[in-house]
Amino acid sequence: MPPRLPAGCSAQLANCLDQSLICTAQRTATAAGRPSWPSPTTQQTSSFSTTAPRELTVKQRRFWNWMRKGLGKSLRNPKPDGVNYLGSVIGSEKSPDIPFPNNPQFRSSPVLSDTARERIYENVMKKGLPLKAVSARHGVDMRRVAAVVRLKEIEKRWEAEGKPMALPYAKAVLSMVPTHDCLPDSQPFEAINEMHVHSYTQQQIFLPTSESRHFTRADAAKAFGDFILPPEKKMWVPELLQFEKDVAGGASIKDARVRFLETTAQSEKELGAKHAEQDKIVRENNTRADTDRFQFRFEAINVDSSGKNGRHVRGVGWRYGMPHNDRKPGAVKIPTKVE
Amino acid sequence: MVVKIRLARFGRSNSPFYNIVVAHARTARNSRPLEVLGTYDPIPKKDIYDPEGKPHKDIKLDITRAKYWIGVGAQPSDTARRLLSLVGIMNPKVRQGEPVRPIRMMEPLKAQPKTTPKTA
Repeated sequence: MPPRLPAGCSAQLANCLDQSLICTAQRTATAAGRPSWPSPTTQQTSSFSTTAPRELTVKQRRFWNWMRKGLGKSLRNPKPDGVNYLGSVIGSEKSPDIPFPNNPQFRSSPVLSDTARERIYENVMKKGLPLKAVSARHGVDMRRVAAVVRLKEIEKRWEAEGKPMALPYAKAVLSMVPTHDCLPDSQPFEAINEMHVHSYTQQQIFLPTSESRHFTRADAAKAFGDFILPPEKKMWVPELLQFEKDVAGGASIKDARVRFLETTAQSEKELGAKHAEQDKIVRENNTRADTDRFQFRFEAINVDSSGKNGRHVRGVGWRYGMPHNDRKPGAVKIPTKVE
Repeated sequence: MVVKIRLARFGRSNSPFYNIVVAHARTARNSRPLEVLGTYDPIPKKDIYDPEGKPHKDIKLDITRAKYWIGVGAQPSDTARRLLSLVGIMNPKVRQGEPVRPIRMMEPLKAQPKTTPKTA
């Protein structure tokens, strides 16, 4: 026997059928507005509840009206650039990059799209441009450029190994956040020469010097403290200073660019040589012995490095009579950089 | 009293770490030794840029002092002797009937190709 409808629910059912937004079960309505029940012999294709749907509350009704006719109409579909945040239509400070109107401090920043990452990888690994030049060209931080190259390298290796990729996931995530393509004519992705402001440099110092002295940024840094560096030593791409100076001095942009490329390539070469030198020192102090399972790496040390009482912090090995602070609260054990 | 070269276990549970020490034979394992010759990290690790290679174990050792202590008659424990034999300070201990395990010594890394990752 077909299930009985409770009395007085037909009107509500009909109401429900009109609102396809809320009703998800597939059903057919007869001309009388009443659903036709499948005969007991036929296979039922969808589960069907006879419980009447809850009536919309006033707030719900207002919300759906707002979505259909009000400001919410423009929020139904994403915009061509991928995002369509609520903060663009309501809130005290309307802006397209505010996803939560009650928190205007939170701005959704763009991420590098796959095209951009591929472009950076090609510039660095295929064209062999210096990292600094790629960073300056696209306005992407040096560390981010390095990270992109590392991750792309892993991605390509996985592709070559035939490992499965979570591409639908990546696509879905990238479709929900604003992206940046690093096109030749696009704005810089981020500020690349931002530097940390040391608290020592925020004080006022009255430093008597002679008027004839040419007081430079390096002198100012030294006045703040012996270990404070001038900005040109702290910034990631100091070669941009020379580029600007060249342009201001009347050189053509093309010449300035050529010089910039040369100096950045030179600095990268010097850095590579420095790393090679450090590697060489490590290699000369290391001996390796291969057994069938492991390689034993011996590093030469000096027992005197532990000082007269054996407790010096540079001494090798676990120290005696000293607390080992690996479980001290507040000690950061998560690695903070890539070696 | 016999002076021994032996390992003193430090580290935490399930993450051992050893000091290679010179100590009197009858003293407690982790008591203050005569000298700390180095360390031995027995957990094998893989290289980040060479995940396919053989895992390695890191040892720090003052070879000159180790040779000195062996020269004045310090007795290495079996494990310590195994480690010292890897750098040629002693001959490995060979038990009867057991094959001698081959150890391939490398010159201080001249055979290694120079690999400086571009992005490091």
